[in-house]
Amino acid sequence: MKYALVTGGSRGIGSAICEILAKNTDYNILINYNSNKVAAEKTLKLVESHGTKGEIISFNVADKESVDSTLDNWQKNNPDAWIEVLVNNAGINKDGLFMWMKEEDWSNVVNTSLNGFYNVTQFVIQKMLRKRYGRIVNMVSVSGVKGTPGQTNYSAAKGGVVAATKALAQEVAKRNITVNAVAPGFIKTDMTSELDENELVKLVPANRFGEAWEVAELVNFLVSKNASYITGEIVNINGGIYS
Amino acid sequence: MEMNEIIEKVNEVLVDEFEVEIDTIKPDANLRETLDLDSLDYVDLVVAIESISGVKLGEEDFKGIETFQDFYDVLHSKVAEKQD
Repeated sequence: MKYALVTGGSRGIGSAICEILAKNTDYNILINYNSNKVAAEKTLKLVESHGTKGEIISFNVADKESVDSTLDNWQKNNPDAWIEVLVNNAGINKDGLFMWMKEEDWSNVVNTSLNGFYNVTQFVIQKMLRKRYGRIVNMVSVSGVKGTPGQTNYSAAKGGVVAATKALAQEVAKRNITVNAVAPGFIKTDMTSELDENELVKLVPANRFGEAWEVAELVNFLVSKNASYITGEIVNINGGIYS
Repeated sequence: MEMNEIIEKVNEVLVDEFEVEIDTIKPDANLRETLDLDSLDYVDLVVAIESISGVKLGEEDFKGIETFQDFYDVLHSKVAEKQD
């Protein structure tokens, strides 16, 4: 059975990706969450409402041991399963001016948003290489491309993933594995719920925040067979705020 | 596993996995050239060897391996290490 694993799939953009992939593709959906089981179960219900099989799987992407042991166990219990699609979506932010930034706020964001990419991808790509096919989409951010003041840690982590996307894409292209990144701007989710939307929307040419499903549709295309010649690409989705 | 058993099993799995003729696998032949391995093909080699021996080879293990005999030797000592 072929699976799509979405890290941080319980909420926000991750949840929308799970639902859109459930609706539009044949993949079983593996919904990873770290802390919010209730939200993960809600996403699972959305996935199942489309007649698609889903599972929730808990691990912290920042913890390599937990990633390896959990995915290893899952694979042993599902020997025929193959994760053909990986969406590295899990990320956290801890905003603040760099001059005041605590070391732990720097490390935590980098550990989840950058090292999490390594931890999960390193496990999953082994089988993709063996099977000579795979789709990896890394959720980055406009912050990782242009940099955002107040988000030096988040920008650094996402910028790291941008560069890793380009490098890894070249390494594995020969095996029909594509690696791309999606860089959303302001999208209505829990992560942006505390922002002053009325003020920030003035910066956006489209004059609105984006919806999670709009990002999910882009991911859906990138993981499809139709996107087979697109790799190493960073696709902005931000209502024109930056290109 | 004894050396002759290792050689037999390794050769068998290599013929199968890399679609080469058994005659081309000689102790002093070059492993990489004979199997036409590119850098990513090592993932297939590692998995194939793990399936027959239970030993998971890492990048370090391949340093210094040129010929099939080098490869058998490394594997032989790794298997022995594992049994200890």
